[in-house]
Amino acid sequence: MSQFGRVKQWNTFARCWHLFDATWQNPLQCSPLIEKYLKGLHKPIYHPFVDCGDHVVIMNSKQIAFPGEEWRRRVYFHHTGYSGGASWTPAWELHEKDPTMIFRKAVYHYMKGNLFRRVVMERLHIYPDSNVPEEIMENITNQIQPLRPIPKTLDSYSNEEIEKYPKIIDYPQDYLLSK
Amino acid sequence: MSSSRFTPKGFPSVPLQNGIGRYICQLKRVTLRFCKSSGSSRGVRDFIETELISFAQDHPGTVVYLKPRRHKSPSFVAEYLNGEREVISCHNFSSHEMIKWLNLYATRSGIPLKRYLKMWHTECPSIQGVWSPFTNMDPALNITQFPSKKLSNPVWEEKSATEELLEKVKQQKISSDDENDDDNTHSNRAAQV
Amino acid sequence: MLSLRTTNCVLKVLKTARNEQSFHRWLAPTLRELKRRKDSQGPEKPVHRKSFLEWNYDSEIYAFSKRLGEDFNNDLLLKAFTERSYIIDEEEKQKSVGIEQPTLNLIDNKELVAKGSEFIDDIVKRYLRTVLPRLPEEGIIELHKYLTSVETLSHVSYHIGTPELILCADFPVEKLTMANVLKSIIAALIESSGENRAAIFVRDFILTQIADKDLLQFWDLQHPIKLLSDILARDNIQSPEPRLVGCSGKNTILACFRVGLYTPHNKQIIGLGVGETVDIAHEMAAIDGLRQLFGTPENILFPYNLELEQLCASTDKNLSVNEWSQKNLPVQPTNFELHQVKMTSSC
Repeated sequence: MSQFGRVKQWNTFARCWHLFDATWQNPLQCSPLIEKYLKGLHKPIYHPFVDCGDHVVIMNSKQIAFPGEEWRRRVYFHHTGYSGGASWTPAWELHEKDPTMIFRKAVYHYMKGNLFRRVVMERLHIYPDSNVPEEIMENITNQIQPLRPIPKTLDSYSNEEIEKYPKIIDYPQDYLLSK
Repeated sequence: MSSSRFTPKGFPSVPLQNGIGRYICQLKRVTLRFCKSSGSSRGVRDFIETELISFAQDHPGTVVYLKPRRHKSPSFVAEYLNGEREVISCHNFSSHEMIKWLNLYATRSGIPLKRYLKMWHTECPSIQGVWSPFTNMDPALNITQFPSKKLSNPVWEEKSATEELLEKVKQQKISSDDENDDDNTHSNRAAQV
Repeated sequence: MLSLRTTNCVLKVLKTARNEQSFHRWLAPTLRELKRRKDSQGPEKPVHRKSFLEWNYDSEIYAFSKRLGEDFNNDLLLKAFTERSYIIDEEEKQKSVGIEQPTLNLIDNKELVAKGSEFIDDIVKRYLRTVLPRLPEEGIIELHKYLTSVETLSHVSYHIGTPELILCADFPVEKLTMANVLKSIIAALIESSGENRAAIFVRDFILTQIADKDLLQFWDLQHPIKLLSDILARDNIQSPEPRLVGCSGKNTILACFRVGLYTPHNKQIIGLGVGETVDIAHEMAAIDGLRQLFGTPENILFPYNLELEQLCASTDKNLSVNEWSQKNLPVQPTNFELHQVKMTSSC
C-alpha cells in the first residue's frame, strides 16, 4: 500500500474521544447513547467485524440522578463465591463507596453479553468530578449533549434576574418571613 | 460444516486490464481428445464434422488441436493466456452440448472458479472521498475548550409553563406598545383634522 | 492404472458381513508410498509446450497475430521471436552433429528490439504529455520509467502469450527476454501495419498498466513542502501556512492529525492532508496541494481513445519542476478536460 493509501485508511478508522457531562443525568437512560458511541454505531463505516468504536470520557458521575425511589429501591447483587457470600447493596450505598460504579454497571449491563463487551468497556473512562487528567482532556475532540435538562437551583439566580422577574403578588412590607 | 470457509473466494478481476484498451480472447488453445470409434465420443465426432470449422473461424485467436486416442473417454483441454489449464470431460456429450461448453470456455478468462464475495470490483470505490470522522465535523469543535457550555445543554429541552408565560408577557408588552403608538398617531391626526 | 474406484467384480468381492467398501485395503497405502517417492525426487521440472505432441508453431503464430487483432508480416514476426541465444544454440547443435558450416535462415531480433524500444519510449512520453499537460517533466519521466520497466513489459508480454512462442536457448524464459520480445513485436508491427496501428497497440497494452492507479505514487517527491512553496513563490504567492484542521486522540498511539495549507493573504485552501503525526500530515497536505496544481487527483479517468495524430510533438516537453508555475504553463490545445483544476490566485 502506498503512503497515500496507508494514510487514508488511518484517517478513516481514526478513533475519536468524546466527553459526556453526567450532571443530573440518569445513567440507565444514557447507556444506549453511550453504547452507541462506544461501539461505533454513529459511524457510516460501522461493521461488527470492524472494531471502530470511540472512547467516551464521562465526568461528574458523582452528580448522576435517579428518578423517584430508585436510590433506595435499586440494589446491586454481588456474590464472593464462598458460601454465605451473597450481598445486596442499595444504589445510594454503592454510590458512596465508588461514585463511578453505577454508571459503569449501567452501560455494561445494557450491552450484549459477547466477548467484545470487555474490550469496549476498556474505552469507557468515568471520573466522579470534573478533575479529568490533562492527557485525557487533550485527546477529547467532541462533547455528547446530555439527554435530560439540568434544572436551575434557586441559588444560581443572580440578583438582577430576581429583580427583573415579573411578580403577580408580593409579600407586604411588614411581613415577617422568619425569625 | 461451513464449506464456504474453505472454498476459494475472491472478487472479480481481469488479467492485463483486458477491455480497457482492447478485448483479447483469453483462450490460447483448445485440444479435443476423442476416440474414433467408441460411443461416448459420438457427440464430439459429430461436432468435429459439423460445427468445428465455424467455431475455429469465430475464434481466430484460439488454436484448435485434435487428438484422436483409442479407448479413451473424450475430453477437451482449455489453455489460457495466464497459464491456467482446465480439463473438461465430454463423455456422452451431444454436438450441441459441445458447442455450448466450448463457447463458455472461450469466453472465460483463465482465472479459476471461485465464490464471488461481491459481483463487482473497482479500483476507485469513492469519488467524493472516503468518509472520515472529520468529514462532517463542525470546524468550530477545533477551537472549543472542553467541557463546552453550549454542548452541555441537552439536545432538546421542553419549554416549561413558566417560560411560556414569560414569552406571552413579552409579546403582550410589544403588542401593547404598538397599540399605544397607533392610538397616539390616531389622536394626532384627529387633532390635525 | 491404480485408482480409488475399482471395477464392479471387485466390489462384489469386497462386500463383507461388516461393511462394504469399493476399494482394496492395500490401495491407499500403495498410493501414499508412491506419492512419497515422487515427492522425494522434488517438484516436476517445467517443460516447454513444444515438447507436446499437439504443437504447430505456424498455427500458434497465426493465432497470436489474430488474437491481438493485428496484421503482421509473417517473416518479420518470426524474426521478432528469434533470440540470439537460440541461433547460437542451433549452430552449436549443427556443429556437434558434424556440419562444419552451419547454415541457418534465421536472423535475430536485436535491431527490432532497439527500434521497438525507441518507439515505445517516444509514444509513451508523448501520450503522457498530451493527457497530463500540467504534470512536470520529472513526473512524466517517472511514469514512463514505470511503464517501460522490465517488470511491466514482461508482465504484458507474458499475458499476450509470447513465452511459448519465443525461440530462446533457456527455459523458463527470463523477464528481460519477454520484455525484449514485446519491443521487437511492436517494431515488427510498425513495419507491417504502420506507425498508427503500432501507437494504438502501445496505448492498449502498455499505457493501460497505469489505469485506475494513483499517478503520483511512481514519483518519489523529495521535500514536497519546499517544492510547493517554491512553485507558489514563482506566482508571487507567499509560502502557504499550515493549520491543524482536525485531531483525534492526540496523546494516544492511534493519533490522527489533519493539516490544511492556506495562502496567507486570502486564506484560500491549497491542500489537505492527514497523517499519524503532524509532520506526516503536513507533508501529505503539501503533496495534495501539488496534486491539485498538477492535475493528477486521486481518481482520474485516464483516456484511452487518443490516436497518433492527436498526440503532441516529440520535442514538446512539459515544464520542469524548477520552472513550473501557473503563469508559465503553455496553453495546449485540449479537446478534453481531464479534471477541473483549481487555480490558486495571488490577488
